[in-house]
Amino acid sequence: MMLAARTRAEIEHTRRRYPHPRSAIMPSLWAVQHELGWLPPEAMAEVAELLGLAPSEVQAVATFYSMYFKRPPGRHHILVCVNAACALRGADETAAHIEQRLGCPSGTTTADGMFTWESTIECLGGCGGAPMMQVDHHFEEHLTPERIDAILARVAAQPADHRDWPPARVPNPPASTTPPPPTAEGPPSAGAAG
Amino acid sequence: MAEYKLLTKDIGVEGLQTLPVYERRGGYQALRAALRDRTPDEIVEQVKISGLRGRGGAGFPTGTKWSFLPRDVFPRYLCINADESEPGCFKDRYLIDENPHQLIEGIVIAAYALQVKHAFLYIRGEYHDQRLLLERCVEEARAAGYIGERILGSDFGCDVIVHGGAGAYICGEETALIDSLEGFRGQPRLKPPFPAVKGLYGKPTVVNNVETLSNLPHILSRGGEWFKAIGTERSTGTRVWCCSGHIERPGCYEMELGRPIRELFEEHCGGMWRGRSLKAFQPGGGSMQVLLPDHLDLPLDMDAVMRAGSSLGAGAMMFMDETTCLVNVSMRLVDFYHHESCGKCAPCREGTYFESQLMHRLEAGVATLDELDTLKDICANMDGKCFCPLGDTATWFVMSAYRHFRHEFEAHCGAGGCPVAREHRPLPAGAAR
Amino acid sequence: MTEASTPAPDDGRVEVTIDGRVTRAPRGQLVLDAAAAVGVHIPIYCAHPKMDPVAVCRMCLVQVEKMPKLQPACATYVSEGMVVQTQTVPVAKAREGVLEFLLLNHPLDCPVCDRGGECDLQDFTLRYGPETSRMPITDKVHFDKAVPLSDKIELDQERCILCWRCTRYYEEITGEKEIVLQERGVHTSVATFDSRPLRSAFQGNLPEICPVGALTHRQYRFVARPWDLQRARSVCPECSYGCNINIDSREYEVKRFASRDNPLVDDMWLCDRGRYSAPRWNRTDRVRRPVVRAQGGDQEVSAQNAVREAGRRLREVRDQHGANAIGVIGSVECTNEEAWLLQRLAREAIGTTHLDHQLDPFPGLSPEEHALGIAEIEDCSAVVVLGARPEQQAPVLTLRLFKAQRKRGTAVHRLPVDVDGATLRGITGGRLVGVIADEVDRPQAAHVAQLLAGGNTEVRRLTVTRGVNGRGCKDLGLLPNLLPGYRPAPGAGRCGTEILEATGAGQVRALVIMGSHPWAAAAGVLLTGALNAADLVVAIETQPGPVAQAATVLIPGHTHVEKAGTVTNLEGRVQRIRQALPPATTVPTELRVLSMLAAELGCERWPAETVAVDREVSATLPAYAVAGNGGRTRWPVPVP
Ligand SMILES: Cc1cc2nc3c(=O)[nH]c(=O)nc-3n(C[C@H](O)[C@H](O)[C@H](O)COP(=O)(O)O)c2cc1C
Ligand code: SF4
Ligand code: FES
Repeated sequence: MMLAARTRAEIEHTRRRYPHPRSAIMPSLWAVQHELGWLPPEAMAEVAELLGLAPSEVQAVATFYSMYFKRPPGRHHILVCVNAACALRGADETAAHIEQRLGCPSGTTTADGMFTWESTIECLGGCGGAPMMQVDHHFEEHLTPERIDAILARVAAQPADHRDWPPARVPNPPASTTPPPPTAEGPPSAGAAG
Repeated sequence: MAEYKLLTKDIGVEGLQTLPVYERRGGYQALRAALRDRTPDEIVEQVKISGLRGRGGAGFPTGTKWSFLPRDVFPRYLCINADESEPGCFKDRYLIDENPHQLIEGIVIAAYALQVKHAFLYIRGEYHDQRLLLERCVEEARAAGYIGERILGSDFGCDVIVHGGAGAYICGEETALIDSLEGFRGQPRLKPPFPAVKGLYGKPTVVNNVETLSNLPHILSRGGEWFKAIGTERSTGTRVWCCSGHIERPGCYEMELGRPIRELFEEHCGGMWRGRSLKAFQPGGGSMQVLLPDHLDLPLDMDAVMRAGSSLGAGAMMFMDETTCLVNVSMRLVDFYHHESCGKCAPCREGTYFESQLMHRLEAGVATLDELDTLKDICANMDGKCFCPLGDTATWFVMSAYRHFRHEFEAHCGAGGCPVAREHRPLPAGAAR
Repeated sequence: MTEASTPAPDDGRVEVTIDGRVTRAPRGQLVLDAAAAVGVHIPIYCAHPKMDPVAVCRMCLVQVEKMPKLQPACATYVSEGMVVQTQTVPVAKAREGVLEFLLLNHPLDCPVCDRGGECDLQDFTLRYGPETSRMPITDKVHFDKAVPLSDKIELDQERCILCWRCTRYYEEITGEKEIVLQERGVHTSVATFDSRPLRSAFQGNLPEICPVGALTHRQYRFVARPWDLQRARSVCPECSYGCNINIDSREYEVKRFASRDNPLVDDMWLCDRGRYSAPRWNRTDRVRRPVVRAQGGDQEVSAQNAVREAGRRLREVRDQHGANAIGVIGSVECTNEEAWLLQRLAREAIGTTHLDHQLDPFPGLSPEEHALGIAEIEDCSAVVVLGARPEQQAPVLTLRLFKAQRKRGTAVHRLPVDVDGATLRGITGGRLVGVIADEVDRPQAAHVAQLLAGGNTEVRRLTVTRGVNGRGCKDLGLLPNLLPGYRPAPGAGRCGTEILEATGAGQVRALVIMGSHPWAAAAGVLLTGALNAADLVVAIETQPGPVAQAATVLIPGHTHVEKAGTVTNLEGRVQRIRQALPPATTVPTELRVLSMLAAELGCERWPAETVAVDREVSATLPAYAVAGNGGRTRWPVPVP
C-alpha cells in the first residue's frame, strides 16, 4: 500500500457515487495523481484492488488519456496549445519563447525540476484568448513574452503540493470575450505559417 | 439583435456564477414552473415544438432524440457532454464559466422530462477550474433543493454527478463518452444499439451538449412556439459562436440563427485584424471544410452551410487572413486528428499517421507531386471507412483546402520550405508540431 | 415481383441477396456468415466466430443497398430484402486501402515469421492488397520485437494489427483480462499490466487466434513452415475432456498440437497442459523390440514368437493354477478398441475375473452421473462445481463455465466437496441445475444433487473421469465388476490394486499389463512387490519402466499419436484419434497382438482392425456406432 489514507478514502467515496465501481477509475486516478504527482504502477494496482478490478484494466485506462502522467513531472506543468487557432495568433512563437526561457525542449523538465512543459496539438479550448497555455490546469490567455515571463516568475514562487494542486486561482486579466490588448506589433502575423 | 440574446443575456452580471444572483435574474423559475405545472411528456413536447437542434455538432433535433427512449425502461441516464475539444470551440467553457447555473437548471429540467435519476456531466480534464466551479454550483443547487430527493417539494428527485475527463477528444463522441464514463478506454461503440436504447450501463441514455441544455430554461419559460420563431424554420434559436483567428475581437458571440455570417464577422468580430483581408474561414470547428470570403454572405443556417459544402458543426468560426498558409493549417488539424485518434479502427489509426507524415513533408517543402496524389488517395480510403466520424472528418479540412487552394499545395512540392511563409515573412520554415 | 407483398410465412428467416445469390438467412445472422453460407468469401481480421463483433479492422466492408457508406459485414445483421455487394469497385478499393493501412507500420520480416504461410495478412494482401507500399520505410512506427509475454508466448508488437482478438479473448473467453490495450492511436499496443508475465492456463490459444505473427508459441519458434507439416485429426491425450486437436508433425516428430473446433466439446480452445504436451510424444526412450526373458538371459525375438511365448506361458499358469491366477490390467490410455479386446482376452480367452484399467475400485456408474453434457452447461441456470479437482483435471471446463456465465447468466458456484446443506439451500434453482464433480467425489456429488433437486428443478451431473479414455474403459467393461454397458459381471473379480496385492501374496501368479505408465508411479512398492512375486509378466509397454524391466515377455506398444481408434470423453462422446507418426516399432498394433494372443489361447478369428472391432463393439453397445459421426453425439449411459 503506497497511497495515503486520505486518497484511499477519496477513492472509496467516489466508488459509491456510481452504479458500477469501474466508473470510479478516472476519478481515482486523479486522486492518485494529485497525491503523488503521477501514476506509478503500484498505485494503479492499488486502485484496482480498491475497486475490485484487474490492475490491467486500470492501466489500460490510465494510458489512454493524455493527462495522466506515467512519469513524474516537474513541480509545475505547462501546456501550450499549438493547434490552428492558436497558431494563427502566434502559438509557435509562444512555445519558442517558453522553450528559450526554460532552456529545455517540449516534453521535458527543467534541470531544477521546477517546470515540465510541452506544446500540444490538442486544442485546449482557449482559441478566443489565443495564444494561450495552461499552467497547472489554469488558463493563461492572450500571451505575450512579457506576460509569459511574469506568469513563470509567479508560478515558480508558488509551492507545488500536489495534494492541493492546482494552487489557488489567480484570475486572468482579460475575460475570454475581451479583445486582446491592442499592441502595435502584436504576435507575428502569419501565425500559422511554419 | 439584442432581443435574441438568450444564453448570454445575463453574462457580465456580477456574481452570476453564484446561486443568489442567478436566482435574482429569474433563475430556476423555469424549473420550478416545469415541476409544478407540466408533465414530463409535456416538456418533451415543448422541446419538440421549439425545433431545438443539438449544439454538439450533429444538429440532431433534441425533442426527437428524447422521444427515442423506450417507454417503461428504467433506470435511464442523462449524460451532459462538456467534453468540448473540437479545435476552435470554446463556447461550452464560456457558458460554464459565465453562467453555470443556467446549465444546471437545464440539466434538471431535462432529467425531469426524461425521468432520469442520475445525470452525469462529463467535462474534459483540461477544464479543471470549470469542473471545480460546476461541483461547487451543484452543491449550491443541492443545498437549495434544486438537486436531490423531492426537488422543490415534487415527487421528482435527481442527482448530478460531475465526472472529469483526462484528455481525449474522442470522448466527446457520445458512445466513447459513455465508455469513458463507465471506466473503459474512451472508444466509440458499435451502433446500433444506439445510446437511446442501450447506453450507459446498458440502459437507455440521452447525451446532450452543454449549450443544448442551457437553452432549456429559456424554452420552458417562454414556450416552444416562442423559441421556434427565432432563427430559421429548420435552425431555430440562437447559437453561441466561437470566433477565433485573425479577427479584431476573438471570443464568443451569441447570434440568432439565419443571420448572415458577415454580420458575425464584421459587427461582432470587428473584421480582419490590422486591416488585412480574409483569405478563408472554417465554420463549425476543426472537422469542417474550409470556406471562402464569398461564403460570408451565407446565412448562419445549418442546411445552407451544408449545401455550400461545409457545416456549422459545433459553432466555431476560425478566420484566416491573407498571410495564412493553408497547408500549415491543414497540417496542424491533421496532426490533431493523428494525436486524438483513439486507435480503435485501422483506417483512422494508420491513416491519420500516414496523413500527418505526408503533411509534414509537404509543409517542409520536400514532398513530391506524387505524394500529393497519395495524400488524396489515402484520404479517400479513410473517408467513410472509419468506425466513427473522427477518422472521416480527419480528411475533410485538408481535402477541402486542397480543392480550393490547389496551387498553394502544389507550390509546396519540392519548394524546400513553405512558399507562403517565404512571401509573407522572410523567416526560415520550422514546422512545429 | 408484383404480388411480392404477400408476406412469406415467418420461419425466422429473411431474404437477402449477396452478389446476386438469393438466400434465406436466419434472422440475427451476420452478413459475414450469410455470405459464407452461399459461398461468398469476405476477408476478416478482427471478426472471430467465438467473439462478439467489434468491427475495428474494417477489412470486411461491403456495399449494402440503401446505405450511404460501406458497412462492416462482421457487425451488420441481415434484414429482409437486403442486397449486399462484395465484388464492386468501391469494396475492392476499400480492401486495398485497409490493407495498405495495416501494412504501413508492419515489418517486412515474413521470411523469418513463424506465421508465414498461415498468415491472413499475407493471404489477403496477395488477394486484395496493393502491389507496393507508398510509405517510406524510414517512417514506420517502431515497437519492441520478440518480447516474451511468458515462458510460452512471445509478442512481436510490430507485427500486431490491433484486431483486438487477444484482448477480447481474455475478456470474453477466459475472463482473466491479462492482456489489454495501452496507449492510444498509432501508439496503441497490447500489453500486460506493468509488463508482468501471463499466468493464464490457456495462453496457447493466443497464437491461434492472432491473425498474423504477433503472438507466437515460444515452443514452436522457427520450428516449421506450415506447408511442410503433416496433419492428423485427433483428440488431446491429456485428459478426459476430449478436446479435438490436429497433430502437426514433420520428419517423424510432433511439432505442435493445434485446436480443431468442436463446438460441443472444446469450442476450439485448448488448455496449455494439453497443447504443450506435444513434445512428450517425441521421447526417444521407447520400447522398440519384443523381448523374452529366459534363464540364459534376455532374447530379442520376433513379435510372433513373443506372442507365441506369452501364450504358451499363460496357458501353463492357467493349467497349473487356474484362470483366476491371472490378472489383467490395462490403462486409461487404451483406445476403446483395445479396451474391448483386452476385456475379451481376460474374460473369454483367459477366463479370469480379475481385470481392470486403473488401480482404484469402481463401485459402479449410474446414468445420472454423466447426464449433463458439456454444451448443456450453457442451458443451466446454476452450476455447482465441487472442489478444485474438476477444473484441475479438465481445465477447458473452466472456459465453458465462463461462457455460460457470460452469455446465459449461469450462476457458477465453486463449493468445497463437503459443502453443507445450508449453503446449498441458498442456491436458487431454476429449470436445470448442473453438478460437476471429480470421479473420486461421486458420492458427495450424488448427495449434493439430491439436496438440490425438487420442485421444477432438474439436476444433472457431470463426472470428470480420469485419463483420456477412462470413460471408454468403463463403458466397455474393462472392469472386474461390470461387463460392457455396465451390466453386472458374474463373480466379480479384483480391482487393479487388489490384483497387485494378490500377486504380491502369491494368489495371482501371472500378470498381463498393457500400458502401465498412467498408474505405475502411484502403485509404487505394491507394483514392485507384485512384479517380484509374479511367475509371469506379459507386458505391452511403450516406455521403459518397472513393468518393462520386469516383464517376462515384453511387447512394444504404440503411443496415442501412433495409433488409430476411438476414445470416449467424460460426457460419453466417442471420438476418433488418428495416427500422426509412424510407430517407433515394427510390431503390429495392440489390436493385432491381442487377437494373436487370443488365438494362442485357443480363441480363433478375433478382429484385429479398428473398423472390425468397432463393428463388434456396436453390436453389443449400439450407442457406440455413433463413433462414425465425428463426435457429434454422446451416448447416454444405459440404465442398468
Ligand atoms: C469525434 C467526435 C467528437 C465530438 N465531440 C463533441 C464534443 O466535444 N462536445 C459535444 O457536445 N459533442 C461532441 N460530439 C457530438 C456527440 O457525439 C453528440 O452528438 C452530442 O453530444 C449530442 O448532443 P446534442 O444532441 O445536444 O448536440 C462529437 C462527435 C464526434 C463524432
Ligand atoms: S475513427 Fe476509428 S480510430 Fe478514429 S477515433 Fe473513431 S474509432 Fe477511433
Ligand atoms: S472483420 Fe469486420 S471490421 Fe474487422
